[in-house]
Amino acid sequence: MSGRALWAGAGIAALYLMGGSAHAEDASNWRELETKYLFGFTTGSGIGLEGEKEFTLESIGRFGKRDGSYNATETKIEFEFTPSQFVQIEFGALASTHDIHNVTDLDDRRQVRLEGAFAEFRYLVLERSQNNPLSVTISFEPTGRTVDETSGEAVRNLEFETKINADIELIRNRLYAGFNTVYEPEVTTISDGTTAREAKLSQSAALALRVLPNFVVGAEAWYLRHYDAANLTNFTGDTVLIGPSLFYALNNKMFVSAAWNAQVWGREVGNPGPFNLAEFQRHRVKLKFAVEF
Amino acid sequence: MSSSRESAGSGLLVAAFVALVMLAPPARAQEAREIVITYKGKQFQPPQVSAPANTPLRLRVKNLDAQPMEFESTSLRVEKVVTGNGEGTINVRPLAPGSYEFFDDFNNSSRGKLNVQ
Repeated sequence: MSGRALWAGAGIAALYLMGGSAHAEDASNWRELETKYLFGFTTGSGIGLEGEKEFTLESIGRFGKRDGSYNATETKIEFEFTPSQFVQIEFGALASTHDIHNVTDLDDRRQVRLEGAFAEFRYLVLERSQNNPLSVTISFEPTGRTVDETSGEAVRNLEFETKINADIELIRNRLYAGFNTVYEPEVTTISDGTTAREAKLSQSAALALRVLPNFVVGAEAWYLRHYDAANLTNFTGDTVLIGPSLFYALNNKMFVSAAWNAQVWGREVGNPGPFNLAEFQRHRVKLKFAVEF
Repeated sequence: MSSSRESAGSGLLVAAFVALVMLAPPARAQEAREIVITYKGKQFQPPQVSAPANTPLRLRVKNLDAQPMEFESTSLRVEKVVTGNGEGTINVRPLAPGSYEFFDDFNNSSRGKLNVQ
């Protein structure tokens, strides 16, 4: 049996065992759960509660290219608040680290930088009700960077991520499915004045099982496409990432979440390798800590 | 040329978002129905309250305990801290029929329900 099949089997067995033990508890008496952070890299539709304010730290690590050693992280230092029952606003600063050695097409680099800033506007388009388990939020996230996410090079980068976050409560207070559709155009100017436009288009599907009132396990799959143009022409490659996720509420006001995605398939235009490691990474990891006040 | 087209596209998206936000609260135009919920001995009284569907609501939460409480509801998407022996008002959008749970976030065992029909 291959290692990948073994991991997949172990994951399914663990979910089944946890699901089995979870049935012993009656979830109907559990408090309802905010869905935004249950699905790992997939974002749920939750927008928080009117009047709520939250401080969060979110780090995403990206590891592994075709050759050499590649480790990069981006951390969001974020404040979010919900001014109405339909809108959530977030903003904050970005910091990054790059540790790159002997990777084709990238300069060797070992650095920590304050990278940029972002803001996110989320609007709840469709709310869940007793007769409708589906909830949908749209979001816009303009981001400015002075450091290139992949190479760590000094650049001027503007990104305008647009997302549809949807989730369905499949079993009340117990099982949720989440879906994201993401369009992420960006424009980057490097030090010699050259400007490059690119875009990513991606779709995810995720499942989250609430095993205990404060503990959720899940799994997700992402399909991502990359283009060397903002209008989705000049396709350069695509990839599939899959992996598990965890959510743990430390108390009513604090939680941590974690997710890991591994690339299981990919293709690059003009390169017949088994993965797409030019635009994407072999693994990505997300860690989040939030405190509400 | 393509840059100006992209800028125009982004501008249109932002304009659409602003329009959606402005359209969001038609509830404010209707007169709100007031519902009084009392909190005493770390319990909501009554534990279940009823409200009409598709009507904006004004929840008046009276905390008769000496300690503060936090009225909170995930499905109503509201939270408000109410001081000891104090009172808080929470405006809620028109709701679809259903049952909406609320609780005191400072005390896990204090829960109530708003039944909308």
